[in-house]
Amino acid sequence: MQTVFSIAIDALAYGMVLFVISIGLSVTMGLMRVVNLAHGAFAMIGGYIASYAARDLGLAYGFAIVLAVFGTILIAIPIERLLYRRIYGAPELTQVLMTIGITFCIIGIANYVFGPTLKTVPLPAQLQGSVDLGFRAIATHRLFAILCGLAVAAALWYAIERTAFGVKLRASVDNAAMAAALGVRTEIVYAVSFAIAVGLAAFGGVVGAELLPVEPYYALRYMVTFLVVVSVGGAGSIPGALVACLLLGGIDTTGRYLMPEFGEFFFYLAVIAIICVFPRGLAGRAKG
Amino acid sequence: MTMTTTNDLITQTPAKRRFGGGDLIGLSVILALAVVGYFLFPTNLALLTRIIAIALLVLSLDLVTGYCGVATLGHAALFGAGAYAAGIASAHYGINDPLAMLAFGIVAGAVAGLVCGAVILRAHGLPQLVLSIALIHLFHEFANKASSWTGGSDGLSGIAPSALIGLYEFDLWGRTAYVFGVVLLALVFALLRLIVRSPFGMLCRAIKEDPVRIRSMGASPKAALMKMYVISGAVAGVGGALNAISTQVVGLDSLSFTMSAESLVMLVLGGTGSLFGALTGTIVFMFFEDVVSAANPFHWLTMVGALLIAVVLFAPKGLYGTAAAIVARRREAK
Amino acid sequence: MTVPGREWAVPQGGNMKRTILAALAALAMSGAAYADTIKIGVVGPFSGPFALQGKNFKAGIDAYMAVNGSKVGDDDIEIIYRDVPQADPAQSKALAQELVVREGVQYLAGFYFTPDAMAVTPLLEQANVPLVIMNAATSAIVTKSPLVVRTSFTTWQTSTPIAKVAKDAGVSKVISVVSDYGPGVDAENAFKAGFEAAGGEVVEAIRMPLATNDFSPIMQRIKDSGAEGVFAFLPSGPTTLGFVKAYNENGLKSGGIKFFAPGDLTQESDLPALGEAALGIQTTFHYAVSHVSPENKAFVEAAAKAIGNPAELSFPSVGAYDGMHVIYKMIEATGGEQDAQKAVDAVKGLSWTSPRGPVSIDPESRHITQNIYLREVAKADDGTYYNKEVQTFEKQGDPGLAALK
Repeated sequence: MQTVFSIAIDALAYGMVLFVISIGLSVTMGLMRVVNLAHGAFAMIGGYIASYAARDLGLAYGFAIVLAVFGTILIAIPIERLLYRRIYGAPELTQVLMTIGITFCIIGIANYVFGPTLKTVPLPAQLQGSVDLGFRAIATHRLFAILCGLAVAAALWYAIERTAFGVKLRASVDNAAMAAALGVRTEIVYAVSFAIAVGLAAFGGVVGAELLPVEPYYALRYMVTFLVVVSVGGAGSIPGALVACLLLGGIDTTGRYLMPEFGEFFFYLAVIAIICVFPRGLAGRAKG
Repeated sequence: MTMTTTNDLITQTPAKRRFGGGDLIGLSVILALAVVGYFLFPTNLALLTRIIAIALLVLSLDLVTGYCGVATLGHAALFGAGAYAAGIASAHYGINDPLAMLAFGIVAGAVAGLVCGAVILRAHGLPQLVLSIALIHLFHEFANKASSWTGGSDGLSGIAPSALIGLYEFDLWGRTAYVFGVVLLALVFALLRLIVRSPFGMLCRAIKEDPVRIRSMGASPKAALMKMYVISGAVAGVGGALNAISTQVVGLDSLSFTMSAESLVMLVLGGTGSLFGALTGTIVFMFFEDVVSAANPFHWLTMVGALLIAVVLFAPKGLYGTAAAIVARRREAK
Repeated sequence: MTVPGREWAVPQGGNMKRTILAALAALAMSGAAYADTIKIGVVGPFSGPFALQGKNFKAGIDAYMAVNGSKVGDDDIEIIYRDVPQADPAQSKALAQELVVREGVQYLAGFYFTPDAMAVTPLLEQANVPLVIMNAATSAIVTKSPLVVRTSFTTWQTSTPIAKVAKDAGVSKVISVVSDYGPGVDAENAFKAGFEAAGGEVVEAIRMPLATNDFSPIMQRIKDSGAEGVFAFLPSGPTTLGFVKAYNENGLKSGGIKFFAPGDLTQESDLPALGEAALGIQTTFHYAVSHVSPENKAFVEAAAKAIGNPAELSFPSVGAYDGMHVIYKMIEATGGEQDAQKAVDAVKGLSWTSPRGPVSIDPESRHITQNIYLREVAKADDGTYYNKEVQTFEKQGDPGLAALK
């Protein structure tokens, strides 16, 4: 029983970290209909900024996170204006080509600027060490990541379902021409959503850095994981992504505990099974 | 899943002739390029042979992605299956005749196509993409586990193809492998031209445009797509076998996600839905990569990225697709 | 971060043009060069996830040429680099073929991954080119061709001594945890053989997928196994970091479960990231950047200058440095003529003092015989972490070759 609890805790922690990093991608893919393979690259930029701020400049962790989020958005603005704006509504494969190109460039530049070594984001004293749960120890920063995940989920859900901006966003997604005719400035709505998605990526990159350490190849190394999580959840759905992360986190963790030798088989067979049962993702909306 | 393709520009009317002028032109272009390549890079035939093997993979991907609208990031599974089958036949069973190895590659590729098709065709759009990713990882992991057969992560070595039709040895200069590759590519290309313009090929394109209508017409989209997947597997198997024969080694990378993603990038670069697009994309990408990575082995990835971005900005239908569209527009203007 | 937004967005046209021009210039020059330029083709991962290791190859080579000059006798030495970002034997073979046939290299060197090196061995005889392996660490490579010489290490060589260390530390039950790929399996077998010979017991052997991100479930597994120590092997980089952190955070370190590994796990370039978490971990390896000797001091100085950032310096650099030494000796012995067999014969039994200590090329296996050091991660006075050598196992050959038979 103790083992079951222990695995459940690990699964929850891993799933929430996945959620924090991937949810931004769910926004771009589901709401903006852009297959953004450069998502990991933005998370990586966030990680680099936070690492530079906290480790080299010695700034506080919280401040480093804020800096990472806004710094990454700042870097993303010209990219959005010059490149992404050209592929909104373009065929998906064209989007794949463009965003992979962007990813390659960012990897190359990161390798050149920061070198190929691992970068860490030093944690503040409060988040270091472990908390004793009675039957086992868990790293404090994992609890922090779980809280961050819950907070992000709640905030996003509120923003999309309950605010005026959310209404405009959903309207623009469902029918951009009609929304524009009704006076919604879709271009601005898209730019803001993109900024939010990038900010979330950067936030996830920093919070998840303990699990997925920052290095130039980060952008491609975890791309598949993000893509799988978002698609299984159903792109654009916050609850769907949350459930998918917890489910896949649970399957992955259990698989690795019970039979680590076949961990990959376990995980990907589960993915295939889930998609065969829910061909549009767990919370799939109408065809995307 | 919507995609810009070039086929609707090129052939709106089904060709009556079984083998048209376009095919002859295409074939002669391939052969001419092959001869030019041979004399321009007589000392780098290994690269040219590798380009041909990858071109076969990209052609095969074009069949399902360009002509049937199936999104896949796992197509290397078919290529790798062919490569491993040809390699295992030689390394473990002593079947060293290149043509027999080729046959093994084709069959294994087709079988892998059957398996992948059966899984991938169960979903559409993004979930379909994820199914293909899951599949390629399963194939990769399986090959890694079956290391007594595949050599695992150390790669399968000990492949020793005998002389082609008993006459031509596979040598250091790679001349035999190159000529073998060119002949295979020409044959496959000619066959594919026939297939994509046959009634069956037309049916596949129609399924891509509107599967519902096809179903209501009484045809089964699933059966047609499965058939195309098997054909695609056979083509990829040819590429894999060629790779195994010419390099005499097979690594896990031939079953990797990276390889699948790269082949998709090459296809989109050239233009989906056209065999010429697939060839153009492969040649341009591989050559560009070879030149920039030799010029600067440390930071060439940035330049490849810039190329991809430039293509999307200036040739959104792919290199060949955009060129074909311009030519078509000129013709209309006349 | 002083990257202005503009540079991110504009494809680097200017840069690209310059590079292509430079490449053309280099081509023209190599065409016009004298016949007595000896070319060495180096294949390694210079971009992609293992770019760091490729960078170390180049640093080791540059350091050697900076110290010993870029001439042997009257012959100029020219290095030609080719990039294979991830293990890709087909690509590796095509590049090696191109290096030999088009560039006319007389020596092939480098090779970080075993399959890449394996793929090239069938070419050597026909090409009349020796292959000097600067990293790839599977024992069997040297048996594939008589023209292969290795100046790095094998996983068997570095993983066997740690078994004795574990037993001596009073641990008799160990769980082995390795990444599921060639080197991992090698490490598992080497440790098992060594540990059982010393009278210990490997209670469980786990192989985990290479792409594991979260190691908590593995740690739980280790705890449940009842072992007193864990032997681990993972590729350096993100996975190592994740594993070591999980070992600390899940209370294994505080629970008294001892940690043993070959030195790949605590390579110097990962230490700044590992930091406190790695403190006290014992590993056995052939080289530590901190090794105390005049040769190493000179090497580290030159290599640090070559690589730019001294914190990036790691073990492949010394393999490359000694590889260059062997190649220089080969060129001396053959007088610059292309004769692969003579070149290889000339270095059989060659011994010298490397930055890592006294080494020699075993005439039988053509693999390097060297000291293996037991090291412990320690904190220096300036707050940085380093591998502190605490014990030496002298003149270790490759036990992996014996195990092959």
